[in-house]
Amino acid sequence: MLADSATLGPFLTLLVLFVLFSLFIPKFLSWRSVSGIVNAATPIGIVTIGVTLLMICGEFDLSVGSLVALGGYVFAMLLLAGAPPALAALLAVALPALFGLLNGLLLVWTGIPSFIVTLGTRSIYRGIVWLFSGGTLIQMLERPAVLALFNGRLDVLNELLPKGANFRTSLIWFLLAVLVFQYLLTRTTFGNHIFAAGGNAQAAAAQGVNVSRVKVISFAFSGALAGLTGILLFSQFRTVRVTTGAGMELSAIAAAVVGGTALNGGVGSIWGALIGVLLISMLRTGVILMDIPFIPADNFEAVVGATIVGAAVLNTWLGQGRAKR
Amino acid sequence: MGRTQDHSEPLVRMEAIVKRFGTITALDGVDFEVEYQQVHALLGDNGAGKSTLIKILTGVYPPTEGRIYFEGRHVRFSSPRDARALGIETVYQDLALVDTMSITRNFFLGREIVRRLGPIPWLDMRAMNERTRSALRDIGIEIRAPHEKVGSLSGGERQSIAIGRAVHFGAKLLILDEPTSALSVAETRKVLSYIENAKARGLSVIFITHNVRHVHMVADAYTILRHGRKVGTYYRGELSERDIADLITGERER
Repeated sequence: MLADSATLGPFLTLLVLFVLFSLFIPKFLSWRSVSGIVNAATPIGIVTIGVTLLMICGEFDLSVGSLVALGGYVFAMLLLAGAPPALAALLAVALPALFGLLNGLLLVWTGIPSFIVTLGTRSIYRGIVWLFSGGTLIQMLERPAVLALFNGRLDVLNELLPKGANFRTSLIWFLLAVLVFQYLLTRTTFGNHIFAAGGNAQAAAAQGVNVSRVKVISFAFSGALAGLTGILLFSQFRTVRVTTGAGMELSAIAAAVVGGTALNGGVGSIWGALIGVLLISMLRTGVILMDIPFIPADNFEAVVGATIVGAAVLNTWLGQGRAKR
Repeated sequence: MGRTQDHSEPLVRMEAIVKRFGTITALDGVDFEVEYQQVHALLGDNGAGKSTLIKILTGVYPPTEGRIYFEGRHVRFSSPRDARALGIETVYQDLALVDTMSITRNFFLGREIVRRLGPIPWLDMRAMNERTRSALRDIGIEIRAPHEKVGSLSGGERQSIAIGRAVHFGAKLLILDEPTSALSVAETRKVLSYIENAKARGLSVIFITHNVRHVHMVADAYTILRHGRKVGTYYRGELSERDIADLITGERER
């Protein structure tokens, strides 16, 4: 896995930053803080998996944030209506997947760059969420067991660890998704076609790859993962509002790039997505805990932004060094 | 080199091909034949109609008039896929390989070897790496590491992999579009040797070129087009380089 050096650079950055923060920030190296970092990273992490898959095949999905909200609302409304939890979860994943599929079909039918198509559907789907929800937020008072399944306390792990560990079950869902999609990407024919479609679509088509089909299916996956994220967020907070997920698309792209996925496609990995979200989440926590004099805690985003650019430059530089060998 | 099999029909016969785009006539009644196990160069200045003729042969678009016969049978292509299915493979300089992927993944792109563990499929990388290495060795290409990214290879090496791939997967006719432009002298020599290897393996090769010297080195036959018409088909040794150049530009008529 790490022999593929697209992931090596980001992994080293993650390691170095972790060591530095542990050494210089007193409160950083605690199970409480580490589990906090992981919990913050998992929802955006799942979205980033889908976004990474799409970026590797050369496309963007800016509508994932809206699909997260859609997933959350479908899940919440079905649960409140008394539907079986399994059905609620299934539909909360399937409906965003269908809208993701629509993104892909629009791309294929119109030939308009996915960046533009999904810039439009981002608003359209958000509008559908508005219509669907009537503009009202949902706050659930009960705590059905299914919520604990999706994003409850992961006591199986927490009990084994020292006091303060606060991992959630969303971690399991995230790791499962990472394993499944990394396998799909690197060990299946479909994955080979994703890399080819993103690396050189014409060459891929010349070898019989159905580039359109690859992209449409990847969009469906992205939508499904966004729906799953909506379920996880609702399961944690028992709340969903029309603005849920807003901005997630950009955070996901940033995390993907930090994790070594190239903007123009053909290069990347799902482990990179994991590293990217962990790195950014860790950075946020570290910067807040550091309490830097000239950076008030609420301006920590600037530090995060600077790191994103730095990480992207580093990855590009490493990539070019590799290619020259 | 003599033909190892005798066929009554040529491998490719394009008969009275006319291609019009609106009011422009790109090809005006061209006959073009390629024999079995023949290296055939297609020459002509820009706008002579070489690309158009090849695009018709590879199924990119149909001829306005005229017929194509492949292996003695009349064929009509509705897409490049049809031509590929018959064994007609095109190797374009930049459009043959995906630079960000390894040699092996490129080699088996679209034809991946898959094993199954119950319902779960997985790529058999070991078999593909092995097969890639041996297939390329058969054609005379030694690669350092099959998992190396194609982007780190030279232009000539990339061409060789694309050619090796076509040969290995059973192409009958290989079409190369300007295979030696942008290559060094040493690389050009290698690519020309792969063309000869392909021919030795039973394929025919059409290569489009501007380079008259390469024609002399490797082509059994060459056809010259000018302004959408065929000037003539000549055989190895018939004309000097100067004559060929003159025919291309029109200094000579025949």
